[in-house]
Amino acid sequence: MISVYYFGSISLILIGLYAVLVKRNVLKMLIGISIMETGVNLLLISIGYVSGKSAPILSEGIGPSQAVDPIPQALVLTAIVIGVATTAMALSVAVILYEKYGTLNVEEIRRLRG
Amino acid sequence: MNGQYASLLIALPLISAFFVPLIKGLGKKAVKYYLVLVTALQTGIAVWTFQQVYGTGQPIIVMAGAWRPPVGINLYIGHFAALFVLIVAVVSFLMAVFSVRAIEVEPIDKYVMLFLLLMLGATGMIATGDIFNLFVFMEITAISAYALTAYNKTGEAAEASLKYIVLGGIGSSFFLIGVALIYGALGTLNMAQIAQLASTIDPTVAQVGLALIIFGLAVEAELFPLNAWAPDAYQAAPHPITAMFSGFVVKAGLYAMARILYLMQASAGWSSILGLLITLGTLTVIVGELAALRQRDVKRMVAYSSIAQVGFIAVGFALGTQAGVNAAVFHMVNHAVVKVLMFLAIGHVAVVLGGSELERFKGLGKRMPLTAFAITIGAISIIGIPLFNVFWSKMQLVMASMAAGKTGVIALILAASVVEAVYYLRLIHTMWFAGEGEKASEGLVISLMLLVLVAIVVVIGIYPDYVWSLAQRAGSDIFNVADYIKNVPLMGVGA
Repeated sequence: MISVYYFGSISLILIGLYAVLVKRNVLKMLIGISIMETGVNLLLISIGYVSGKSAPILSEGIGPSQAVDPIPQALVLTAIVIGVATTAMALSVAVILYEKYGTLNVEEIRRLRG
Repeated sequence: MNGQYASLLIALPLISAFFVPLIKGLGKKAVKYYLVLVTALQTGIAVWTFQQVYGTGQPIIVMAGAWRPPVGINLYIGHFAALFVLIVAVVSFLMAVFSVRAIEVEPIDKYVMLFLLLMLGATGMIATGDIFNLFVFMEITAISAYALTAYNKTGEAAEASLKYIVLGGIGSSFFLIGVALIYGALGTLNMAQIAQLASTIDPTVAQVGLALIIFGLAVEAELFPLNAWAPDAYQAAPHPITAMFSGFVVKAGLYAMARILYLMQASAGWSSILGLLITLGTLTVIVGELAALRQRDVKRMVAYSSIAQVGFIAVGFALGTQAGVNAAVFHMVNHAVVKVLMFLAIGHVAVVLGGSELERFKGLGKRMPLTAFAITIGAISIIGIPLFNVFWSKMQLVMASMAAGKTGVIALILAASVVEAVYYLRLIHTMWFAGEGEKASEGLVISLMLLVLVAIVVVIGIYPDYVWSLAQRAGSDIFNVADYIKNVPLMGVGA
């Protein structure tokens, strides 16, 4: 029986990929990429989950043996920041695109070809 | 001296990038010369590292925070990394000098910062010994590359950048899923420990994980289905940045791909991944060459040619033999030299004459004889004519594929060379035998850089032995995983 976390995160990745491939509006494609990144982050986190353990913070009553895997959390923290940076970059490009082309439809944004 | 100083390769560009806003107060010129200074320093450190590694024959292992791997992140500067860190630094230095003349668009301080971060990311990708750290450096490279592609602020630049961002976003997500799968199966992110445990991994997880990682890196490395951004980005990006993309950003992606691929040699089902890579490489060559054939813009044409050469390199890595890897590394070195020469010369023409369409190259032999000469040497070298450097690496690729029994690859390389000859000879003909024009000023510094690069092309062409021996040592650094594991002082954790 596949865990609901894996199923959910992979569905999110696929939904994001679908949006990137099918949508024609630049902003919707960027939303798709964000959804995909969220799915990847959830997948990473659920790989580190150990059933029944608590957050990996050493404090009273919680020793090292009662914590979930802390490494994926560090990875996801990094990946979230990278995702936000990419999205910010992409949105500023979308602003320039709208200024120069007057549209956000990818089928009309075709000056470079060949 | 202590090998840990090699961490300056990462630290210097990073701290220099932070100082750019301070330097900006001194004026626009100051920022550009600051960039030249920093890249010159970086070249110095890279030369020192290179001497250290090739002199002692031992790789430099930099341990972050003195935590031994696999707990801490380590940098592994072996023969390959030392060679390519040097190439990255030298190419960056040349392009920093070129930027002084070629970049007039504001804001120049952002340009300098992104330039340094691009160099930092590529150096990190080549030096790192940890797959998640590789992802971080790949994203540093990619995000600076997105921003630099859009730097000219024209509609075309934004369009090219958007394509790059969308493909890069998908690619990096795939890469991260691959990392997650491998981490989930092996419980480690350190490359040496992954190699150690590779034989125990579940074959399905290994195949899916590796395939996802290769797809993710294929965006940076410009392999076929994911390289649609490349010609647009090459055409729309500032001229020095184009040369950097072709000179080392692609190489960093290819290297990372080859490194991870060969780390997992021991895993079951590895050869089917080689099959995937050989298909991707072959398609890249075919699509790149055929697309280059019908271009009217010279920069775009050379961009497609560059993609096709990347396909050769990927095919070399995918042969799965020592000879193939050596040949691919040799081709990487030669291609870096030649393409930097080509993009520098074409960028120079575009700066002086105001565009890179084929019509503007008419009569270039009379207007800018030295630049035209440099383009000619670069072009005939890429076609693979004896006495020029690319001939030897194509020769080695042919010999390696003969030894591996892949005759299809030989046919591919030879046929592609014929197609290359067609479009490059058309360019040479346009430059020397068509059109008239008065002389344009060429600029002393750029002429000098072009002459140095031409000299390197010809010297490697006539005396290939030295560089070939470097490539062999770098190739065994990738292929011989047992040595790689032995060199990294793994702490006995877990396995």
